[in-house]
Amino acid sequence: MTMFLTYSFDWSVIWKSVPFFERGIAITLRITVLSIIFSLVLGLVVALARMAPGPIGLIGFAYVQVFRALSLYVYILFLYFGLALVLGIDLDPVTAGIVALTLLNSAYMAEIYRAAIQAIDPGQREAARSLGLGTVGTFVTVVFPQAWRIALPSLVNQFTDIIKDSAVVALIGASDLMHQTIERVSFYQRPFEFYTAVAVIYLVMVVIVAQLATRLEKRLQRHLA
Amino acid sequence: MIFLDYVPDWSVVTDRWRQFAEGAWVDVWVAALGFGLACAVGLANAILRTSGVSVFSVPSFLYVQVMRGVPLYVMILWVYFGIANVLGINFTSFQAMIIALTLTGSGYTTEIFRAGLGAIDRGQMEAARSIGLSRARTYAHVILPQAFRIVVPPLGNTFIGLFKGATLMSVIAVPDMVFLANELNVTLFTPFEVFTAVAVILVVLVFVFSILVYVLERRLRIAT
Repeated sequence: MTMFLTYSFDWSVIWKSVPFFERGIAITLRITVLSIIFSLVLGLVVALARMAPGPIGLIGFAYVQVFRALSLYVYILFLYFGLALVLGIDLDPVTAGIVALTLLNSAYMAEIYRAAIQAIDPGQREAARSLGLGTVGTFVTVVFPQAWRIALPSLVNQFTDIIKDSAVVALIGASDLMHQTIERVSFYQRPFEFYTAVAVIYLVMVVIVAQLATRLEKRLQRHLA
Repeated sequence: MIFLDYVPDWSVVTDRWRQFAEGAWVDVWVAALGFGLACAVGLANAILRTSGVSVFSVPSFLYVQVMRGVPLYVMILWVYFGIANVLGINFTSFQAMIIALTLTGSGYTTEIFRAGLGAIDRGQMEAARSIGLSRARTYAHVILPQAFRIVVPPLGNTFIGLFKGATLMSVIAVPDMVFLANELNVTLFTPFEVFTAVAVILVVLVFVFSILVYVLERRLRIAT
């Protein structure tokens, strides 16, 4: 225990840094929310492509396998430094982060959508078709509304990963929550206090979203009970 | 075509394939060690959690929530700079990375082992106890071998997740393949070639690990 005594904690630096945290949280939330919206849409498109026969199905499969395998850090390095040079485009760190998070998570979400769509009894599709609904009509009015209910809790759980992964954008200088924290650490030289505080902030955001997932699950499955 | 403006020079990578292989190997073994420790901690924690004694199960529950809720990047810096500062211990960057992976990983492995142990019928424990096996022996000979089959597929996915997370290790200067790529980028300014190489290595390794998990899963499946 003696080794603890040599360190005197100073939590006041955290309270002094609240405005920085606020600014950081705003950017983290912006990155997270936009990535969620884009990957929800792109994920559905990929899921539909993946289930299509022929070459489109193959492209969907390859998309999921490749884009799921990369880590966010590697994505960001590749997009922000590598691709930017080749394509001659200058992505800002926030955009690079959003693109990276979207590519990674759309691959995960595609698999969630696919599992949900495949869980719908094929008889439903056949019945809808025999009633004269078109392929698109069947999907939009019969299959998707049911699949959506099955997929939603898992999708929301995926949101928690997006929140956590977004911290990596700090490495290319987006002034998100993590970046603000790292700057405060170098200012005050208080790594323990700051990293503990930021861990708590991320934890709170994740727990709120996870709670939402649990509630949604209960609510959406009430009719099945 | 915009692509035509840039002519990639892959020799930057191919001339150094050995260094890239060595860097990738660092990612693999650090991730594997972190995963192994995460499994040990997770199993112990899951046994505490399912013990039904709230003095154990409540802290164990909180532990899982915290470890799963904190980003790995935060965990790495917290261990390497924060804990080191408070305890006055200087972890090597390897040690800090392995500890961070163990902490984050054990949040996931605890839940997997808990589900695995929970899937074993209560009657098995009761039967084994009633024929005179001790609690420890019941776990070792009856419960764990059955739970093992259930936990392998999700554990495999956790390993792949940790392996991907391990690519962050260069942020505390562990010389893995990303560290190498960053260095080459700074000195030779070839971001496209080196980061493409890293991405390709990562995709291939994750693909290989997925196949291994799949094969293991099939072999362990009980014929029905």
